[in-house]
Amino acid sequence: MRKQLMYQIPRKGLTVWRLYGVFKTLFVVLLVAVCIFLTVFFDWPVLIEFIAVVIGIIAGVTSIWLFPKIRWEHWRYEVREHEIEIQSGLFIVTTTLIPMVRVQHVDTSQGPILKKYDLANISISTAATTHIIPMLITSDADNLRARISELARVAEDDV
Amino acid sequence: MSENRYRLHPVSAIINFVKGLRELIIPFVIIFVANGFNLSFNPKEEGFWADIVPLLIFSGVSVIYLFSGIIKWWTFVYWFEDNELRVTYGLFVKKKRFIPFDRIQSLNYKEGIFHRLFSLVQVTVETAGSTDGKPEAILTAITKEAANTIEYETRKVKQTVDQNSGKLTEEGNEKPHNNLIHKMSAKDLVLLATTSNSVGVVLAGVAAVLTQLSELIPYEWVFEEVSSFFKYGVAIVAVTIFAAFFLAWLVSVLITFINYYDFTVVEEEERLIVTRGLLEKKRITIPLNRIQAIKFVENPLRQLFGYTTVVVESASGGFGKNDKQITLFPLISKKEVYKPLQQLLPQFEWDVTLIRPPKKAKPFFYRVDFLWLMPIIIICSYFFFPLGILSFLLVVPVILIRFWQYKSTGFAIRGHQLTLVYRVISRITFIVEKNRIQAMESKQSVFQKRRNIASIQVTVMSGMAGTSARASNLNEHDTETIMRWLEKSSLE
Repeated sequence: MRKQLMYQIPRKGLTVWRLYGVFKTLFVVLLVAVCIFLTVFFDWPVLIEFIAVVIGIIAGVTSIWLFPKIRWEHWRYEVREHEIEIQSGLFIVTTTLIPMVRVQHVDTSQGPILKKYDLANISISTAATTHIIPMLITSDADNLRARISELARVAEDDV
Repeated sequence: MSENRYRLHPVSAIINFVKGLRELIIPFVIIFVANGFNLSFNPKEEGFWADIVPLLIFSGVSVIYLFSGIIKWWTFVYWFEDNELRVTYGLFVKKKRFIPFDRIQSLNYKEGIFHRLFSLVQVTVETAGSTDGKPEAILTAITKEAANTIEYETRKVKQTVDQNSGKLTEEGNEKPHNNLIHKMSAKDLVLLATTSNSVGVVLAGVAAVLTQLSELIPYEWVFEEVSSFFKYGVAIVAVTIFAAFFLAWLVSVLITFINYYDFTVVEEEERLIVTRGLLEKKRITIPLNRIQAIKFVENPLRQLFGYTTVVVESASGGFGKNDKQITLFPLISKKEVYKPLQQLLPQFEWDVTLIRPPKKAKPFFYRVDFLWLMPIIIICSYFFFPLGILSFLLVVPVILIRFWQYKSTGFAIRGHQLTLVYRVISRITFIVEKNRIQAMESKQSVFQKRRNIASIQVTVMSGMAGTSARASNLNEHDTETIMRWLEKSSLE
């Protein structure tokens, strides 16, 4: 069995994902409200109203509680001397291995919500792909970015 | 300065213009057809303005294209200076581009019909940086002598660089020796056309045109004709269908000949040169060290007859986005394929024994399909009750193809080389070296985890987005071996 990767996303990351979930749910709630309004207004069968509410509740529970939890538990990463390994996914867990030699540049980015929580995303680009480690504490993200770019510089193509 | 400044051939103005017009054709045809072919040129008639305005716009745009073509030719200048190819163009916004000769990866030639009339050539200059599908510079039309001069200058600089770095260039003489790797005969081309799916494509195209022109076809008349036609018996129907296929086949042979006529692969000084084309001649150069991966693509028909297509994934594109995959051998017998490849890329081991997915993985290939098959079958059965149940038969081809995918999948590791085999409908054998892999992913769903099964996917650079290959539902143990194999690259 392969060893579990060492680092997890900070707990605050989960909170932010939940917050995103709240926004998504609000949007769904709006649609449900429109649906209920139309049902009442045009005297459609009550069943439609019922289904809309159930869908709304399911969307809320999954996108606020369940999915962020699973995703948070799956997200792990490790930056070693010669490679970066990232594990992510909801139902399908993907483990990505990026040789350090292939890293072309590293970015950190931070939107308004992430800024409020003092978090930042790191994205690692190779010549063909881009990989993201999300929701790191800003200072950690900056350190990690510096470390990756340092390691990528010294990594030599020995093949 | 002693440098000569060169212009493009004046024909390039016309070529630019025609290129612009080509983009206009489709919207023009759409509007023309939408109007029902009856344009009125009488100002008193109703709908005159509605008809004439688009026409005016089109003629206006074509005039603009004509002028921009002329201006582009007028302002375009290139010259050689300080071991660089320098290009400037533009009227209001002047663009200057200096390309050092030793950065030039390849010069690709293209001769369209216009070019061939004046024995000109279009030269596309590519560097390592031009991965976004756009070449560094395009010289729309220059004489062949001028093209040779560019090539000569480039080589001259590269050779002096080689000598400076202490490497002895093997030949001091001017003509570099080249050896022919592959050439396609007319018989090969016919075979290529026959086994390609273009027969189907042509048939589909005819069908699409027919449905588009449905208004023009008097269907009632056709139906009467057809019903009387059936009375003549099955033989004639069969002959007609056969004739239709034969016609489609002829068209596809014709298309293949236009595209692939005189297909030749030549190796010259660590570069591959691929030439092809009947009306429009193309010449693509790929430096061998820019090759990222080799792909064997066998569609079921070709696999049956033991033929394969060999495609090269190159870091630099051929001609724009559509050609980022460069076909090395459009059609070659599997027995003969290894010899030229061995000669070309001796570092690879071509024929390897594969490690297959375990037996327990078999259900994973087709299980997912029930997710979308079930609803379709249920809906069809419910709404089209008696006949809809037949949709159940859909399961058969889907399961068969999944089963075939299971049978085809496999991988092999040989030193620094990874071979992945998988099937969509064609079987794809993907051969890549460790130092070309940009990223590797292993994927595992909850169900796969329970049975210790996982899938693997590798991505290499190819054009801008890269391209990936996968092998699904291998033993978890095997995917871990592959992952560790990539890790080890730097630890050794």
